[in-house]
Amino acid sequence: MADVLGAFEQAVLLAIVRLRDEAYGRAVLKEVQTRLEREVAAGAVHATLARLEQKNLIASRLGPGTTIRNGRARRFYRLQPSGVRALNDSRAAVDTLWHGLKWPLKGHV
Amino acid sequence: MIQPPRWAEAVLRVLMTPEDAETISGDLIEQYRDSVFPSKGRLRADLWFIGQVLGFAWRETWGWVLLFSALGVGRDALDWFMPPTDFLIRSAVTTYSAISLFVLCGMFAAYRTRSLRASVATGLVVSLFAAPITLGGILLMLAIWHDPQTMSAIAHSGGLHEVFSLPIFMGIPAIILALVGGLFGKAAASIFS
Repeated sequence: MADVLGAFEQAVLLAIVRLRDEAYGRAVLKEVQTRLEREVAAGAVHATLARLEQKNLIASRLGPGTTIRNGRARRFYRLQPSGVRALNDSRAAVDTLWHGLKWPLKGHV
Repeated sequence: MIQPPRWAEAVLRVLMTPEDAETISGDLIEQYRDSVFPSKGRLRADLWFIGQVLGFAWRETWGWVLLFSALGVGRDALDWFMPPTDFLIRSAVTTYSAISLFVLCGMFAAYRTRSLRASVATGLVVSLFAAPITLGGILLMLAIWHDPQTMSAIAHSGGLHEVFSLPIFMGIPAIILALVGGLFGKAAASIFS
């Protein structure tokens, strides 16, 4: 089994999957906030992206900036094969934990 | 076009590697203009931006901040609860430990960013973050232990004035020491990278 991913790491990786070629820092942050339905600090997302890149689960490249960001470059992220494996393993682990239980749980089981 | 506080952006850029400074400040400016300013207005958007910068600064320096705060609180705890017979030795140990911490944090900052400005900023940020944490720790100790014996030990070690003023006045020494460390860090970066 690959690295066990935390919930926030999964949220960031899945945001990159959803955004495809548009997965740069700000877009990933926006997507994570939308999915988690809460405010998330930009620093938390950037720290997670840096950690995932260090673990070789994602790779990045620099792309051109836009006027709204004063022309500052954007860092675009994409999943590495090990990142795909890690996400699949994480999903499989959760499915195994829930196997045989009916969701949502109701009352005392 | 609306601009976030320039000083906050400068702090952010100086603490990061050149690549991260470019992309991360771009992300923050985009978010500031695109969603925060339209929904919150100028003042709250500026406060949001400053908060984000402080968050990044904390993530870059928290290890040094906690080490330095622990050293400050530990120094006072030692003086209060196990008063040394020879303050010269205690003073030398804690002073040189503090010097080493600031030199090392300046060195690592310059090694990582190849910039002396980063080491200066890191030294200042560490001392600014550490001051309230250290003062909080000292106040907590004082709230729990304020018996005559402890108060006498405090008076003999320099008094409450020294206890409370030292963490606040560390900014300038921190900048100078981190700059010294930065010189080593930058030299090391040019040799080994």
